[in-house]
Amino acid sequence: MISIIQRLFDACFSALLSPVLRNGVGRRGLAALAVAMLWSSGAQGQRTTDLRLNEFMAINETNYEDDFGEHSSWIEIFNSSYGTLNIGGCYLSDDINDLKKYPIPKGDVLTSIKPRQHVIFWADNKPTHGTFHLNFKIDDTRFLALTSSDGRTIIDSITYPEQAANVSYGRSEDGTGAWGFCERTTPSTNNTLVKLEAASDRFKTYDPSGIAMTITAMSVVFLALISLFLIFKYVGKTALWIIALRGRRIIPQESPAQVTVSGEKQQPSPGAVFAAIAYALRQYELEVSELESNILTINKVAKAYSPWNSKIYTLRETPVKKG
Amino acid sequence: MDISSLFGFLGENLRQFLSYTAFSHMTAGHIAMMTMGLIFLYLAIRHEFEPMLLIPIGFGILIGNIPFMSGLKIGIYEEGSVLNILYFGVVQGIYPPLIFLGIGAMTDFSALISNPKLMLVGAAAQLGIFGAYMASLLLGFMPNEAAAIGIIGGADGPTAIFLSSRLAPHLMGAVAISAYSYMALVPVLQPPVMRLLTSRKERLIRMRPPRAVSHLEKVMFPIIGLLLTCLIVPSGLPLLGMLFFGNLLKESGVTRRLAETARGPLIDIVTILIGLTVGASTQATTFLTVDSIRIFLLGAASFVVATFGGVMFVKVFNLFLKEGNKINPLIGNAGVSAVPDSARVSQVVGLQYDKTNHLLMHAMGPNVAGVIGSAVAAGILLGFLS
Repeated sequence: MISIIQRLFDACFSALLSPVLRNGVGRRGLAALAVAMLWSSGAQGQRTTDLRLNEFMAINETNYEDDFGEHSSWIEIFNSSYGTLNIGGCYLSDDINDLKKYPIPKGDVLTSIKPRQHVIFWADNKPTHGTFHLNFKIDDTRFLALTSSDGRTIIDSITYPEQAANVSYGRSEDGTGAWGFCERTTPSTNNTLVKLEAASDRFKTYDPSGIAMTITAMSVVFLALISLFLIFKYVGKTALWIIALRGRRIIPQESPAQVTVSGEKQQPSPGAVFAAIAYALRQYELEVSELESNILTINKVAKAYSPWNSKIYTLRETPVKKG
Repeated sequence: MDISSLFGFLGENLRQFLSYTAFSHMTAGHIAMMTMGLIFLYLAIRHEFEPMLLIPIGFGILIGNIPFMSGLKIGIYEEGSVLNILYFGVVQGIYPPLIFLGIGAMTDFSALISNPKLMLVGAAAQLGIFGAYMASLLLGFMPNEAAAIGIIGGADGPTAIFLSSRLAPHLMGAVAISAYSYMALVPVLQPPVMRLLTSRKERLIRMRPPRAVSHLEKVMFPIIGLLLTCLIVPSGLPLLGMLFFGNLLKESGVTRRLAETARGPLIDIVTILIGLTVGASTQATTFLTVDSIRIFLLGAASFVVATFGGVMFVKVFNLFLKEGNKINPLIGNAGVSAVPDSARVSQVVGLQYDKTNHLLMHAMGPNVAGVIGSAVAAGILLGFLS
């Protein structure tokens, strides 16, 4: 399978990028780069899919006012991801046949939505009031859609029932919950009133001595390392078996250190090697070593004459050209 | 110009200059912290106690405790200053994973792979973390603070910095200094506990020589290790991911240059930056508190409990092992991840009782397991308390 994919990539890149390839860029390296680029662009494209229509109020008579002091319908959008998303370039619409009804302007810093935060759009048909004022009002279409910047892919949409005045319609939980009429309107904030208690406070309340944490965490640490232990216990055995099958020579754990008996050269056991290293380290730490005397002694070495090292015999005779 | 007004002007200039000098802002706290920095430098240079760490930290303490008039954009806590920019890597937890990358690229897990049951010793020694966690709660710290203090017992500086920067940034200086100080003092703290908990007969146990480990096993270890540990504790990804990635660079055999960079220049650069900035973050005004003293005491206790956990686990484990397969409990201390100091302590103490019983290679198993164990423990604490 992998080789098929690899061949496909090679074929594609041979056709498309043959001039580059000819210049010495590795084909496989380029294919790998392309895969990384495709993945990264895919990841980039997926980012706005984390946006969600979260709550809206179709008939706002006496409820919240916009920044111009007017009561208008509003739509709340929630960033369900853990990264900042820019909604600029996406589209809002209440018409399934015209998904590109309101293009959210690009380049406005306010269209960046922080992680797990909300943004409000006023459906007042007054786009001149700013980025967050739509060019339509919520009518009886009973449909709302948030569409990605390609104008075709619907990120999130809702077909809603008849609405009542001053009652919002939203998800039971931010970004994920089922739609329904809200008990209270919560523009720009969480739909459910979650008691924001820090994890640390919860542990302080329910586990003041830390015993539960200790037991849980130690169990998990043991679980992780026991899993590794069990796997490598059998991986080791399997590896030894495979190596033995290949005919390689490996000294099993049970083998004692080998000793040279009859002058035959034998491989020392790893344990003996480790012990020798440890002993050498120990000697080094204790500074137990043979010190050199730093005296150089030059002995004259007399060599017996041999024709094999005589220059006379090693010189070649100069070639003489004979007439 | 009138002479008196000239002298008045010069005098005013002199007074202004003096107000800019460090002397005019010096407090007893700054002097105390500088003394501590000098002690660190002395221990590192004279006694070679963890010099790679104590010299940058000690010098960082000196840098961080030279008082100055604020507003000049020179202090580590002043936004936009050079030190503040370097400190960003600590605050955001960037440096510790990079150090783990280097550790992975320089660690040989062969001892652990050849005798995988030693992994359990590395798990048991994490008791120090949770012992200190409970003790910190008893002393009135909040759970997130207690976790940051408890991780000192993992004997792993980068992990301690990583976790404390996430859970209790206000304690990070004290936690880091405490962790590194006690890592340097492992040869002093551990041997008495090891002797206290073991009998002479146990100290003389000879362990089987480790078997040879194949290349295939070495390559599989980081891959399986990552998948197993991070599937269980995904919050440990930054540390464990980098640790195992570094190890794969080393063991794959085809990325020698990358491995050498990770375990050489990269880890050296990051060690310099992390040591210097952590040291500089210990400004007297923020560091010299009662909490810091309590953190130091709890740190010492956590090392003792960790050693206790490792040694006692081996003793209990031995009850279930056949004769000839038993583990020398003197390697139990190595379950804390102070690599390779605690393994060296096992070797030295072991040799005191049998000059031919070398425990170093055996102790390296729990030692590197401790690195994995403490990173897993940090991941759990982060997952629960962040």
